Amino acid sequence: MASVSEMYDVTWEEMRDKLRKWREDNHRNSEQIVDVGEELINEHASKLGDDIWIIYEQVMIAALDCSRDDLAWTCLQELKRQFPGSQRVKRLAGMRLEALEKYEDASKQYDSILQDDPTNTAARKRKISILKAQGKSAEAIRELNEYLEQFVGDQEAWHELSELYINEHDYGKAAFCLEELMMTNPHNHLYCEQYAEVKYTQGGLENLELSRKYFAQALKLNNRNMRALFGLYMSASHIAASPKVNATVKKANVKYATWATNQINRAYQGNVTNRVPGC
Amino acid sequence: MAEPELLLDSNIRLWVVLPIVFITFLVGVIRHYVSILLQSDKKLTLEQVSDSQVLIRSRILRENGKYIPKQSFLMRKFYFNNQEDGFFKNTKRKVVPPSPMTDPSMLTDMMKGNVTNVLPMILIGGWINWTFSGFVTTKVPFPLTLRFKPMLQQGIELLSLDASWVSSASWYFLNVFGLRSMYSLILGQDNGADQSRIMQEQMSGAAMAMPADTNKAFKAEWEALELTDHQWALENIEEELMSRELDLDGMFSKELPTGIF
Repeated sequence: MASVSEMYDVTWEEMRDKLRKWREDNHRNSEQIVDVGEELINEHASKLGDDIWIIYEQVMIAALDCSRDDLAWTCLQELKRQFPGSQRVKRLAGMRLEALEKYEDASKQYDSILQDDPTNTAARKRKISILKAQGKSAEAIRELNEYLEQFVGDQEAWHELSELYINEHDYGKAAFCLEELMMTNPHNHLYCEQYAEVKYTQGGLENLELSRKYFAQALKLNNRNMRALFGLYMSASHIAASPKVNATVKKANVKYATWATNQINRAYQGNVTNRVPGC
Repeated sequence: MAEPELLLDSNIRLWVVLPIVFITFLVGVIRHYVSILLQSDKKLTLEQVSDSQVLIRSRILRENGKYIPKQSFLMRKFYFNNQEDGFFKNTKRKVVPPSPMTDPSMLTDMMKGNVTNVLPMILIGGWINWTFSGFVTTKVPFPLTLRFKPMLQQGIELLSLDASWVSSASWYFLNVFGLRSMYSLILGQDNGADQSRIMQEQMSGAAMAMPADTNKAFKAEWEALELTDHQWALENIEEELMSRELDLDGMFSKELPTGIF
């Protein structure tokens, strides 16, 4: 099997920089990380200098995703040797135990981290992930709520909680979590869109109106969000078709739906030019 | 009336001005690394972390509350500010003002702070004064009154000399404060050689004095939140959106990224 550098004709520096970019963007392309990272570690370890430790961590997590326990074990050993008492390494050891489905041992590992440092958020979050992996969603939700009571600012946790609630069909509470995310990230069109979708699923005239508004907001933040465009069309036409609305509201929504249809047609035409109205 | 310009020996520039700059700079760098070595771990309690995040959340609610529906905003405002059981009304933290007597780690911190910063400044200032004394070093570009004379012209007993001409000790102090931006450039932010920042911290009552302020911070947040109104940003969003065509340029581009690189 050809190595990555041969297949793509890249140098080790480019591979290292690619890994760094994936790390910063928080990509979860574990197979690619394993391919590139394994080669870097095996062939170019000496040239990497101190970068190698963070690469070990990145590759180890990717290896756990791909069931490559051999690679994960090697990385873990290297890290343990270099940073003997480190809590970050302990957490990685716990993650490996989780991957092997040894949930009791992993839980004990995280408890020991928390004993040393009660403010360690990573260990707490891993414990909640164990519950989620075991399918105990009700408990996971409860634990996550308690966690969020203490650490209200943790956006990753709010998003995870919204996902758990959506799975439980508790859309009201999921909407609450997404509102937190929208407040902290007002320019992120994806949170607006997800919120609009939850509102749409909840149903009812008020929620449909809200969802239409938030689909519009998502579109305003990112004109190319097709999902939001379709959502705008659907929520507007749904309101227009509802028997409870009065004539003005109906007319307005029909107008919105028509506009959305036009935009959709424009997008799928294939040769879009931007014409400024009035020029 | 033009004043007679004094012409200084160029040796002064070579052997006094530049060495003082170097000395100050190097001492600053050494101070930075020494402060890193002597730094004690700041242990934060769970409560402090939690409180700081709550304050951040409340601030975000005030600033960005207009992006969520009115009902949700009111729900959160109620949670924080309610008369009977609002968070800011009810939570009282036990406040132990961290004075040097009660908190031994504070005492050692203060001592370390003094040793690394104030002491070298005094020592080196005195040494420079003693070594480079008896002559004028430089002229400050703006005119000064006579009252500055004894301060800035330490070793020079000339009654008629303009106060703008200063001795080497004052050049040293100028450097200490002037090289601050150089330190940020070379050592990055938060460096231990930043004198004035450290003095500011000492004046505002020790960097670890957050616990004492938590109750006050809560009260301030409560007041600010009371005053905040909800102006929904999405009121006319449809009209704003539909006033122009969507920018769909190049949306379905023909090139797809293949492989890793």
